[in-house]
Amino acid sequence: MKKKLCGILLKLALVLFGAFLATFTVYMFNLENKLIYYVIRPFLNKHYDSQKRDRRIV
Amino acid sequence: MKNPVTAFIDKKLKKLDPLWQAENGVGGQRVRFHDKTGIAKYREWRGVHDTMVDYLAWLNNLKSMGLMVAMAPLPVLKGIWEYRWMGSYLGTFAFIDRLYQGYRGPELKIAHMHMHAIVQSLTKKIALVLSNDRRLGGGPLTDRMVPMDEVLPPLFMAGFPNLIPIPLQTLPEFIICDIDQQLEPFYIDVAESFGLAADVCSRCAAETGVTFNDDFPLIGKAFLSTNMPCNASEATSMFQRRRIDLPDFPVTLAMIHNEPGAHPYSTQMLRDAIKFIEEEYGEKYDWDALFARARHMNEQNTIELEKWDFFKTDYSPLSGISETLYRLYGWASVNGQEDYFTKVDRKVIKIMRRCYEKKYLPFGGKTRHRAFLWGPSAVYYTDFPTWTQNCWGITIVLNMDSTMGHNMISTTDPEQAIKDLAEFSEKGVMRHHAVGGWDNVNAVWDWAKRFNCDMVLMNDNVACKGMNGVHAMMEEQARELGFHFIFVEHDLEDCRTISRRDMRNCVNSYMSVVANEEPLDPTLVDFDDSEAW
Repeated sequence: MKKKLCGILLKLALVLFGAFLATFTVYMFNLENKLIYYVIRPFLNKHYDSQKRDRRIV
Repeated sequence: MKNPVTAFIDKKLKKLDPLWQAENGVGGQRVRFHDKTGIAKYREWRGVHDTMVDYLAWLNNLKSMGLMVAMAPLPVLKGIWEYRWMGSYLGTFAFIDRLYQGYRGPELKIAHMHMHAIVQSLTKKIALVLSNDRRLGGGPLTDRMVPMDEVLPPLFMAGFPNLIPIPLQTLPEFIICDIDQQLEPFYIDVAESFGLAADVCSRCAAETGVTFNDDFPLIGKAFLSTNMPCNASEATSMFQRRRIDLPDFPVTLAMIHNEPGAHPYSTQMLRDAIKFIEEEYGEKYDWDALFARARHMNEQNTIELEKWDFFKTDYSPLSGISETLYRLYGWASVNGQEDYFTKVDRKVIKIMRRCYEKKYLPFGGKTRHRAFLWGPSAVYYTDFPTWTQNCWGITIVLNMDSTMGHNMISTTDPEQAIKDLAEFSEKGVMRHHAVGGWDNVNAVWDWAKRFNCDMVLMNDNVACKGMNGVHAMMEEQARELGFHFIFVEHDLEDCRTISRRDMRNCVNSYMSVVANEEPLDPTLVDFDDSEAW
């Protein structure tokens, strides 16, 4: 029982450590902002520029 | 007492710290950025402890954004697809990084507490508005929402506990300009493409563009507009009124409100607004509900006044944009309606008391000038105070906007409460100082003196007709009173007229030519961030 609990705790610690490593890498190398600036926003801007709007002053 | 392990790591990695680099002439804050785009190659190394504080704050904000999507996945996705301004919110993380460059210790801790309060509030509000936006299909709360002009403090609406007041312009136009300087020029062009004058306040032009582009969410059954502080704003209100096409009530508060005769007028105006909402929404005003929220606003304002006492000293870890943005959002948009802000205030004031007792000098004791920032600031350059601190050691002690209504509201007597609310609302954003009469504009010298400032930075919105007339008078008074005085030209929401770089050059010229000082970080003196968010 104790061994099983230790195993679960070890796995949990490994998962948490893995999550920390992954998120800290994204954070430190500013990966999310690079993705948004160079990929997502240009794609969205293209879409926004192609939108048709009824801009008559009423 | 510093942990020996982190102290060892900090010593080994100190060369990565931009503050150390600037001090030792081997780099600085700007080295880690790509030119023009302002995208950082890597985030700031602040030592183990402060980097972890910043990382955990980043995770916390990420959680709030995840919750926003989880609360309303389809409306949020539809919103990103429908509204150009929603795409700009993706720049939030870069925005937060820009604001808090060079922050360490308690300055950083407080800054992130403040920012998270804004992020958690704003993300909930976005999810709520998009879930009930008629353009995206509407929702169960659509008819319980009350769209209102964002320069009208919404506290008095707390007397309608079944209704949800939403400052209409805040999400699609105002806050988002703080985050993305590239957004508003699009909306300004939409407005000007109809022949609207190009020399009006860019904020009004941008709001008009949002209106014509049908980028305001459609919510509520009736709209509360107001007499905003200039003619251009009033024209904007008219366009919004026609386009949104809801029954509306203009809450026209007294502009020249220093005269006692003005208050009864504003008080009656609030009474009429309450009556209008009662009729349109079929609700009865509940004074006890108002008193409950007024208690929160009173506590926040009491804490704010205590903060001001610390601002007068050299030992305040709260200054610059960390102070300004929180006060602006917490006062103008939240206005006593969210418990979270009261809790943050209680925690922050404890940190400030401790710092004062320890005689803690913020920003490594490198502050050279204490400045009062006066006049409406450039919305597209929110991190300007951070730059003045990091580049020239100029701390923005307090901002004009932070001096908004701080009178207490009665929590027992309805008659007194409505009078207090009128006075409180008269001293709203821009209304009090920018157009509230000469005495209120000229009050800058008293404020600067009271807060022991040796410098005044005067925001010069080049399209603000009201303030253009006082330019030379302010210059003359600064000379007579012996203040360092810098006019910082800007075009409020249009970064094309006067860029962030041009704004920095106003300060650079004064500091190098007149004050004859050397920058703390030479990499920050002149750089190009024209393509940055």
